[in-house]
Amino acid sequence: HRLFALLLLVLEWTRPGLPSPLRPICDLRVLNHFIQEARDAEVTMKSCREGCGLTEAVSVPQTTVNFDDWEKKNAMEQAQEVQTGLWLLQQALSLLRTSMTNSELNSHIDNVIRNLHSITAVLRSLNFQEYTPPASTVGPEGTWRVSTATELLQVHLNFLRGKVRLLLLDAQACQQEAS
Amino acid sequence: MTCERLVRLLALYLTLCAAAAAGDVRDFKRKASILLKEEPKNPKCFAETKKDFVCFWEEDEERAGSVDQYSFTYAYQKENGSTCALQVLRSAGGKRLFVCRLDRVQMFVQLDIRVYREGIQIHNRSLLIELLFLLDPPKNVTVSSTGRQGQLNVSWVAPSLKYMDDSMIYEVFYARADSHVGQVEAIQACSEMILRGLEASTKYRVQVRVNLDGITYDGFWSAWSDPVFVETLPAELDPLIVSLTFIVSFILVLLCLTMLLSHHRFLIKKLWPAVPTPDSKFQDLFTVYGGDFKEWLGQTSGSLWLTSPFILSEECPSPLEVLSELHLCPPLSSPPLPPKASKALTLVRNEDRVLSKGLLDGESVDRVDALQTNGWRSPLHDHWLLDRLREFQQHPVPRSQCSLLESQDTYITLSGNKRTEEEHREDTLDEVLPPGVFFASRKPPKSESHSDLGSVQQSSGSGNLSSQSSFEYPNNVWTAKDPGYTYMAVADSGVSMDYSPMSRADDIGKVVIYANDYKNEIPPHRRPFLVRQCPVHDDG
Repeated sequence: HRLFALLLLVLEWTRPGLPSPLRPICDLRVLNHFIQEARDAEVTMKSCREGCGLTEAVSVPQTTVNFDDWEKKNAMEQAQEVQTGLWLLQQALSLLRTSMTNSELNSHIDNVIRNLHSITAVLRSLNFQEYTPPASTVGPEGTWRVSTATELLQVHLNFLRGKVRLLLLDAQACQQEAS
Repeated sequence: MTCERLVRLLALYLTLCAAAAAGDVRDFKRKASILLKEEPKNPKCFAETKKDFVCFWEEDEERAGSVDQYSFTYAYQKENGSTCALQVLRSAGGKRLFVCRLDRVQMFVQLDIRVYREGIQIHNRSLLIELLFLLDPPKNVTVSSTGRQGQLNVSWVAPSLKYMDDSMIYEVFYARADSHVGQVEAIQACSEMILRGLEASTKYRVQVRVNLDGITYDGFWSAWSDPVFVETLPAELDPLIVSLTFIVSFILVLLCLTMLLSHHRFLIKKLWPAVPTPDSKFQDLFTVYGGDFKEWLGQTSGSLWLTSPFILSEECPSPLEVLSELHLCPPLSSPPLPPKASKALTLVRNEDRVLSKGLLDGESVDRVDALQTNGWRSPLHDHWLLDRLREFQQHPVPRSQCSLLESQDTYITLSGNKRTEEEHREDTLDEVLPPGVFFASRKPPKSESHSDLGSVQQSSGSGNLSSQSSFEYPNNVWTAKDPGYTYMAVADSGVSMDYSPMSRADDIGKVVIYANDYKNEIPPHRRPFLVRQCPVHDDG
């Protein structure tokens, strides 16, 4: 799965000429793989005692999912919520990476950051609009503030399992391909 | 009317609600029993669908307080806490269940639960709801045959949970109906499975349960569905086995046929043995002389007769028991009998030693004691007998006077010839005895002299006697005291002599009648010395 995701990234970066529409990536096994790695990072972080903390509080997306509320949102709102959350997580994890001194955790964080980029590419393949980061560093609505690495990785995991997965499941491009 | 209708509707509604509640309670208790075994933490919580979540704990009846003493509080991550209304249910074994049903369910966020009893925290737990699913068993489990031997197709209806279909895993349990030991097959994100490797013509029990894969969602294995019993198809003949069996059988049949053909002569000889014929014993009898025995005898010497195999055979003469004596006519004038001629006599001139040897092999040596010593036949005696016969034929002795023997001698003869007397006279003396025919006479108690018995084969057959070794004394020489007795001595040499009048179709018209009957009949024109009737055992 890791190789598959890497191959997707390479193809995306090395494609010649005009950008051609990406083939929709609807196989959730890719996301499952990312979720597994996120869980591994969280478990490792729980056992870390030193050299594995955030230097400052960071904004992270809310992971709460009420299915009734979620189904009331349209696809665009869902996509924007997910893409915003992915951006926030990338920012927070990058900050964590700079403050990490534990080598084992550093590898996990690197994987997680790469996976977030892959998920962004998957969303792009599903014709979701590119996310434009906000100008302000203050977290938009619907965000939380976390101050520990454990909380950060927990949010990261829950976000992938929840909203990201729901968005991919309901992606229109995947629905058309299935039919 | 309106009020009554409303009352009825209300009663019906309450009844239905009560029934539903009872059903719900029953289902809850069933799931609670599963969690009581599977979940070590308290409170024990599970989600049945995406929109409900239940927590409970169990306490003994004696130790439990009233529901008012307890408080159940819960708080999602980054939110304020809430309180859940508790319900009390009584369970088996004197237990109480305190149950909380959350009215607002949020997933993918941490939920903190605290239970207090009279202000004292008794339970504390943090959990994620999407990881505590306890689903209902799959419904509409259907088991059918796939059309192939040893296979069953199992299908079911997955729990209707959106976004969770690809996360469900199923276990299919199947076992023989009469056994509790079975096998479990797992499958993910699919609502049907083919069971293979089953025994033919066997009844199987199939059950299914469901759980989540643990990646995005997780939980406990549901209860097993209600068992479904199905019998597999009967065993079919594998075409390869059938063809191989046919080929092997064909090869075996070919081998058997080859063996049979190679030994067909032996088998035919054993299964259908040839009926022995006397042709080989009597050279040219049937080929040259057409069965005319008399002519054949005439053309052949006596030695030929004597050299015939059955004469030389070692067959034992049958014992002949003399039952009574026949007092015959006073003797004719005749030369004295040879002192050692009181033996059974044949007209066979040669091969005396052979015949006597044959006699001595018999069991009834005692009865044939007259034949034991000195040879039982002598040429002199033969000539005397022939002379006597000729004389008798020329001058038949009246009945009252006929006798060639002394009164105390015993004579035996057989009846049955219907040939003419003239023919007899011509042929009698020239004939030889049929094979294996012997006389036996009882030694008279008083007289030292012995009369010879003569026996001449009657070459004509009347048809009355069809035995193998019948003979007849020819010429009405002897008169019987009682005409109803017939003697017959038989030495069975195993050779069947067909003396029937119709024995040879070629011989019809020829005067070849050799048949003699065993019947106890005495032709009226012949009254030989039929002394008495002896039981004859034909060994042939």
